[in-house]
Amino acid sequence: MDNLTLKLRGMSCASCASSIEQAIQSVPGVIECNVNFGMEQATIQYDAKQTNLETIQSAVDEAGYQALPLQEMAGQDDEEAADRQSESQTLQRKLWTAGIISILLVVGAIPAMTGLHLPFIPAWLHNYWLQLVLTSPVQFWCGKSFYVGAWKSLKRRVATMDTLIALGTSAAYFYSVFVTFFPGFFTAQGLTPSVYYEVAASVVALILLGKTLENRAKGETSEAIRKLMGLQAKTARIIRNGEELEVPIAQVEIGDIVQVRPGEQIPVDGEVIEGSSTVDEGMVTGESLPVKKQLGAEVIGATINKTGSFKFRATRVGKDTFLAQIVKMVQDAQGSKAPIQKLADGVTGWFVPAVIAVALATFLIWFNATGNITLATVTMVEVLIIACPCALGLATPTAVMVGTGKGAENGILIKGAESLELAHKIEIIVLDKTGTLTVGKPTVTDFVTVKGTANSNELKLLQLAASVERNSEHPVGEAVVGYAHSQEVDLTDVKDFEAIAGSGVRGIVGGKPIALGTLRWMQELGCDTAYLELRARALEGESKTVVWMACEGKIEAILGIADALKPSSAQAVKALQKLGLEVVMLTGDNRSTAESIARSVGITRIFAEVRPDQKAAQILALQGEGKIVAMVGDGINDAPALAASDVGIAIGTGTDVAIAASDITLISGDLQGIVTAIQLSRATMRNIRENLFFAFIYNIAGIPIAAGILYPIFGWLLNPIIAGGAMAFSSVSVLTNALRLRSFKPKFIA
Amino acid sequence: MLHHRQIWGTLASLGLAIGMASGVQASEKSVQHSTSTAQFRSIEQPLGLKVGVTIGGLTLIGFELWWFLFSKTQAQQAKSIHGIQELTITVDGGYEPATVVVKVGQLVRLNFLRRDPNSCLEQVLFPDFHIVRELPLNQVTAVEFTPEKPGRYSFTCGMNMFRGVVEVQG
Repeated sequence: MDNLTLKLRGMSCASCASSIEQAIQSVPGVIECNVNFGMEQATIQYDAKQTNLETIQSAVDEAGYQALPLQEMAGQDDEEAADRQSESQTLQRKLWTAGIISILLVVGAIPAMTGLHLPFIPAWLHNYWLQLVLTSPVQFWCGKSFYVGAWKSLKRRVATMDTLIALGTSAAYFYSVFVTFFPGFFTAQGLTPSVYYEVAASVVALILLGKTLENRAKGETSEAIRKLMGLQAKTARIIRNGEELEVPIAQVEIGDIVQVRPGEQIPVDGEVIEGSSTVDEGMVTGESLPVKKQLGAEVIGATINKTGSFKFRATRVGKDTFLAQIVKMVQDAQGSKAPIQKLADGVTGWFVPAVIAVALATFLIWFNATGNITLATVTMVEVLIIACPCALGLATPTAVMVGTGKGAENGILIKGAESLELAHKIEIIVLDKTGTLTVGKPTVTDFVTVKGTANSNELKLLQLAASVERNSEHPVGEAVVGYAHSQEVDLTDVKDFEAIAGSGVRGIVGGKPIALGTLRWMQELGCDTAYLELRARALEGESKTVVWMACEGKIEAILGIADALKPSSAQAVKALQKLGLEVVMLTGDNRSTAESIARSVGITRIFAEVRPDQKAAQILALQGEGKIVAMVGDGINDAPALAASDVGIAIGTGTDVAIAASDITLISGDLQGIVTAIQLSRATMRNIRENLFFAFIYNIAGIPIAAGILYPIFGWLLNPIIAGGAMAFSSVSVLTNALRLRSFKPKFIA
Repeated sequence: MLHHRQIWGTLASLGLAIGMASGVQASEKSVQHSTSTAQFRSIEQPLGLKVGVTIGGLTLIGFELWWFLFSKTQAQQAKSIHGIQELTITVDGGYEPATVVVKVGQLVRLNFLRRDPNSCLEQVLFPDFHIVRELPLNQVTAVEFTPEKPGRYSFTCGMNMFRGVVEVQG
């Protein structure tokens, strides 16, 4: 029995899917067939002895559709790209045609319009009939897409940009045609007959130019996500049955052993099982320094291996990898709407129909006021072509797109545009202590020796201490061993290891009896502790756990152990305070530990001894003060508090639960990310406001001026070509402004 | 690459040329208008014509507003097959149907078939469900979600010019 997946072409509705299903089912030898209409795929189970791919394909052909094996589909993207290419070529041809003709027409119109005698402009250029011949292809070939779009939308009872352009340019064109054929109609009324061919043609040219620029700029707004997707490795070097093979990334399975050489990209997520190296994770976490990877360390797909070579077991592949999840999260965020967009949305719904109504009203008003049909038509055309709903529609989404993409580049994942918007309003920021301000596990913060550091005394002592502690399962032991690793101290063998609960550990290293434990135990062992007691008390004052070390019955050193602050914590807290936020600490720890940590980072308001289930209530209490509260945390027990806060920020390689409950996720554990996230939110919101302001002001001011509101007072009337140009470039300028966000760089506040 | 840049450069200067040319015109034209020349001067029109044009114009405005804003297109109920409520929406100058009726709590699969090359329609957004999809031309793109609460959820193009509604009934 064989399996086969076919890509289907030519389906238009769900009933097509069932007819394909029937067609394939009727082939003898086909056991089962499933057609997924959405994915345009058929999965088929068949007996290879009775039938084959060709037979099944021809059955689909006969049913009037097309089926291709999945591998051949690789060409489809190329086909699509080719389609797009030819489309843009056509657009450019039209743009050139319209552009050149418009210039001729505009130049030809200058003498007649200005009344100046310009001998270098040939008079035949102002011949109405010639202008008609030149303009017609621009109006109906270059501008065809506007007519088609307007007509289609009209049937769907939607009025769009196309509707406005088609109506505006048609009015100018057909008015001019009328003047060309019946100039007598105007001269009889004592009017100079004048045509507006150059308006129709140049508006079409300008809008096409605007559209070309817009398409290009629009592509750039999604650049960040394309960059992220481009990070994905194409192949992986895996070891199967003792053989090293290079396989396409799609064929890597969970549990596969993957070999990574220096300088290579890590293909999927996994856990190191052999070797060690440093890895540049910057592209995913935003962290600039390479990270050390040893046995048991997690590696992230798409990151770059630097110096060493190692093997790892794949733990997540395909759409479950960290990178794929980041991409999905960014995409989802870009599919959401910022609340501020309601402002524009409220308008875009009725904007175009209202503009058409205003244009018609303009015509009626001028016709009744002056009886001059030329003036009435010109003002109507101007209103139609100056109005720009696109600028309004583009203002928010483009900025959100660039903003969320920029976030991802800096290791900040923003769940939705709502969160991005809310983050700039945060007034109180609540930091969880353990794992957020601190590393989250005990580490050696102080190492004090009796004999100082001469002859690498301290390293020798550390070697002895860590060698003994290596056998301990106590977190303190882990901290000592970790410290020894960080100082690149090699460990040696221990004899007669013994752990005494509540007191400490001891063993013999290189013939020397070593003991590590509490002060009381040392005194019980008969050691003289007087020399270091003052130092020990000072460490305890900082809420640190003190471990005493005795070598051959003599006290040699003490180790201060605490959940250490992350290096960036104090600076980040200061930066947040400088941004005008009130920083609050929330912890389940006892008050004295909490206070000592708070003091060292500069936090004055703390909530200590808060049980995990009370954390959310504490957040609600702060919100009760009428403030917008953000909560930063990492653990599962922070999830309710993250969800309760206005903006939940999950930090570090936090748990999936925390990420699900949060609005913003900082991939790296660096608190500076919070500062960056708030800066990014502020920058994005400022950008959106600028865009909206411009789009609104442009339409609010532009439409009345186009309607001729200044004509009775100053005799000013906008040139319709300027109206068209303004309209074409208003959406381009909104896009360009949004793209400015790409240069956002986190500002370092010291 | 150079070729590409040249094209853009030329286009930009073309735009600038047109802009400047029309700018000159505008300023000169405004001078001309202030002296109220033959082209834009007032003319006495018969009252009957004015009344007729006004009535005609107002009727047109009324009809236009009604057509685009107040008339309703036909809603369509999604068909439920194997527990999935499925419906095809043709994207061609808008969404057809633009109103989709579904039941609450059941997976909805909307198959968007884009027939319109207009780039305004290349994206469809369901902001309430945080969904955004690119719609390749002449291809079916499925959008799936499960509405948890009854209500009206809109879907739009990237710029909110084209709109549709998913009406979720309890």
